[in-house]
Amino acid sequence: MAQDYTPVPASKDNMGKPVARYEALQKVTGAKIYAEDLPVPGRPAYAWMVTSGIAKGRITAIDDTEARAIPGVQLIVTHENVGQLGKLETFANGGLAITEVGPLAGPEVHHDGQPVALIVADTFEAAREASYKLAISYAEESPTATFGDAGATEKALGDINPEYEPIRFNDAEAALANSAHTIDAEYRTPIQHHNPIELFSTTAYWEGGRLVLHEPSQYVWGLKHSAADLMQVDADNVRVKSPFVGGAFGSKGAVTHRTALAALAAKRLGRPVKLVAMRDQGFTHSGHRQETRQSVRLGCDANGRLTGYDHRSWEFTARTTPYYNGGLDKCAAMYAFDAVRTDEYVVQGDRNVPTFMRSPAEVPTIYALEAAMNELAAEAGIDPVEFRKINDTRVNPVNGAPYTSRSLNQCLDAVADSFGWTGRDPRPGSMREGDWLIGWGCSMAMYPTQMGPSTARLIVRRNGSALIEVAAHDVGTGCYTIAAQAAGERLGIDPQRIEVRMGDSRLPPGPISGGSISTASVTSAVANACDRIVEELGLSSDASTDERAAAMAGMSEPEIEVLGRWTPPGMGEDALQAMYDGGVRITGGNMDERTMFAFGAEMVEVRVNERTREIRVPRIHGAFAAGHIMNPRTAHSQYLGGLIWGIGSALHEATEIDHKRARYTNDNIAEYLIPVNADIGEVNIVMVPERDDEINVLGVKGIGELANVGTPAAITDAIWHATGTRIRDLPVRLEKLL
Amino acid sequence: MSDDHDRFDNFSRRTLMKGGAAGAAMLPMGARAQSMSAGGASATGPSVQRIEVSLDINGQRRDLTIDTRSTLLDVLRHELELTGSKKGCDHGQCGACTVHVDGQRTLSCLTLAAQAEGTKVVTIEGLSDEDNLHPMQRAFVENDAFQCGYCTPGQIMSGVACITEGHAGSDAEIREYMSGNLCRCAAYPNIVAAVKQARTEMGG
Repeated sequence: MAQDYTPVPASKDNMGKPVARYEALQKVTGAKIYAEDLPVPGRPAYAWMVTSGIAKGRITAIDDTEARAIPGVQLIVTHENVGQLGKLETFANGGLAITEVGPLAGPEVHHDGQPVALIVADTFEAAREASYKLAISYAEESPTATFGDAGATEKALGDINPEYEPIRFNDAEAALANSAHTIDAEYRTPIQHHNPIELFSTTAYWEGGRLVLHEPSQYVWGLKHSAADLMQVDADNVRVKSPFVGGAFGSKGAVTHRTALAALAAKRLGRPVKLVAMRDQGFTHSGHRQETRQSVRLGCDANGRLTGYDHRSWEFTARTTPYYNGGLDKCAAMYAFDAVRTDEYVVQGDRNVPTFMRSPAEVPTIYALEAAMNELAAEAGIDPVEFRKINDTRVNPVNGAPYTSRSLNQCLDAVADSFGWTGRDPRPGSMREGDWLIGWGCSMAMYPTQMGPSTARLIVRRNGSALIEVAAHDVGTGCYTIAAQAAGERLGIDPQRIEVRMGDSRLPPGPISGGSISTASVTSAVANACDRIVEELGLSSDASTDERAAAMAGMSEPEIEVLGRWTPPGMGEDALQAMYDGGVRITGGNMDERTMFAFGAEMVEVRVNERTREIRVPRIHGAFAAGHIMNPRTAHSQYLGGLIWGIGSALHEATEIDHKRARYTNDNIAEYLIPVNADIGEVNIVMVPERDDEINVLGVKGIGELANVGTPAAITDAIWHATGTRIRDLPVRLEKLL
Repeated sequence: MSDDHDRFDNFSRRTLMKGGAAGAAMLPMGARAQSMSAGGASATGPSVQRIEVSLDINGQRRDLTIDTRSTLLDVLRHELELTGSKKGCDHGQCGACTVHVDGQRTLSCLTLAAQAEGTKVVTIEGLSDEDNLHPMQRAFVENDAFQCGYCTPGQIMSGVACITEGHAGSDAEIREYMSGNLCRCAAYPNIVAAVKQARTEMGG
């Protein structure tokens, strides 16, 4: 680590103050702020999910004699006695269910790890022991595990989603044929699992006819409505509490089987029930990033100007529920292409359903595009940084919609300066130190700027304090902190005197914590609430913060309460109603009139041991520009985490699958490799100031999913630069360099 | 081929796990062995044995009747409502359950509660009170050494031990000896900065 490493950077132009996290004290003292830690009325029973031992077939018999004999066992639920639960829709149909198949819906087994029974006992130990003694007989069929396995079926996206249209922008084939240099390569990305350190848990109890759920959630209003539908009660009689989430990365947005199972067990037993999916069960319980194949052809002329771009992608998904990410339209907007063709496919097999995972579409597709950009730059003999600058664009070339702001070139310059890029000898294998071959690589990072509707209740008091209430979510991003900052800055209130409540469906609705929309959406609603306060105080909208603070101190009433609300421009008011109904509405990124993205640039040094082929990353630098930065401290941590996530994505992470049985073989957090502290060396982050007045009230772009995009392309190019070997199959582990 | 590599890699990268397991093995089993072996799983009869234990948790004596199979982590969380110690894997792989047993960092998910009898257990809740934070807790706040915070209690307990063990001599040594605590938000450089700051304050 560099001696001058600064965990908490100072503010620059168009950045808020780097104040400490709202909940910092609670997080360092072990306070009860996570769903599973919240107190419940009375002694809970403990539930254990029994999951299928096969990937395809049907249950022929269940013998629970021995399981029931375990002292303390209170309840065993299977498809034979689950009764009638309500039906949920999946994302594709406007709902939140992770799968089309309901909890314990029948004897059919669709994937490995499917919940097939729930055992509830007085103690955790008894429930676990009984799970070993539940005898389940199966009629097993031969499953399809992944690409290339017998029984895999391919469909074009258009066959699944009639609204999907592949891109046919000019004649990519002709443009490629007339190029001076071309690349034609296939890239492969693996199955990855979110693996937040907090396990997937649900605690359920009933108070009369009212259901209370403690469940870590990225969307408590959505979960409230989904749970109500499942349990066939009024949504007003369901409350979801999830004050803080112990990491999510997309895995706590969908509604899984355990919510209904815990609620059902709690109802039947008349006491609180705690259900935790154990780490291995988490691998089949709440989705994953699906493996992909990306075929890219890319060309440029003799001066390095891009010509044709042909990108086809295949995603592996579930037979029951063909979840997909798509996203090649975003790749097509990135550079000044003359002609673009994209085609997207899903391939289905007998697997659990994937879900969104940190930059779901962007991680695989931008990796492929950026890897191809690096390969083409080398082919054309042009520095990869220069190559990107040559091909910068101010509009989405496909539809001509201008970028609201785009600071990619500034980021490239800033990171090149920080990293010392000019010292790079472009020849592969040209840099070494002892046994270590040294390579430098670079890539672009990007993420669409997206938003959704939000509300925010704001109470300001004559005594100078305030309260913000919105059912938004803090998954580690700093949402409480920046909500207080947004109000504090607008009204002249010390953020430390502002109480913030989130993560409770009893509060006014906030957006799903997905698509990096929270900061932009919530601060816009908070700003609207502040403006309403200003109006109530009888001030003009251009009153200074001092005037606002003085007016509050002189209020005739002890407090004023308003409900702020915000709907992104161009979105109909029905989007707000949809959120009240638990639906998901997101806009941004590639739009008809405007193009909204945050950008970054990353540079990495890789060292490959000449004898052992061990791969190390001694340093990585990233420069990012994302509109108004609410808090440089929390932003820095998000970029830091993103860059390291990117290293893991390039070098460590992959869920292996048994082709014969379609089961994950490394379903634990020691063999599913993620970076540990010793894997990480120098990380340097440059925040490039940027202003964008078009996107939302405060000009905020989401950053939680920015820094991990593109990193694998920088690392694979650095490995090529060190060794001369192109690896196009992630993750790159040393055996691929032998 | 890749599986062989993975296993090898795990051993080299996660040396701390060995320390955790060895720490658990050193704890006295003593008089409890008899009652624990008296149960024995059988296909037909009840297999649950309950025993009385007296534990010293955060300086308080706690007399409990527990399932012999209960881990220290589950007793802390389920019986004593000390939920600061987290369950991230239940297999000694993530470090989120790290507590101090007689001053040594110990994975409470790999330690039977009965083994902890006769020892002094300190959890994150016992490290300090809110008015007087431990230097490591303060350093974590000041260096933003967390995002979601779920691994943080384990990181802090490991960080304190890392210094008292004398394993915080350099950045590289801190990284190595903090590698048994996974952080999925990847606050690692900030955690190293926090340990360094606390080392100065703790005089380590």
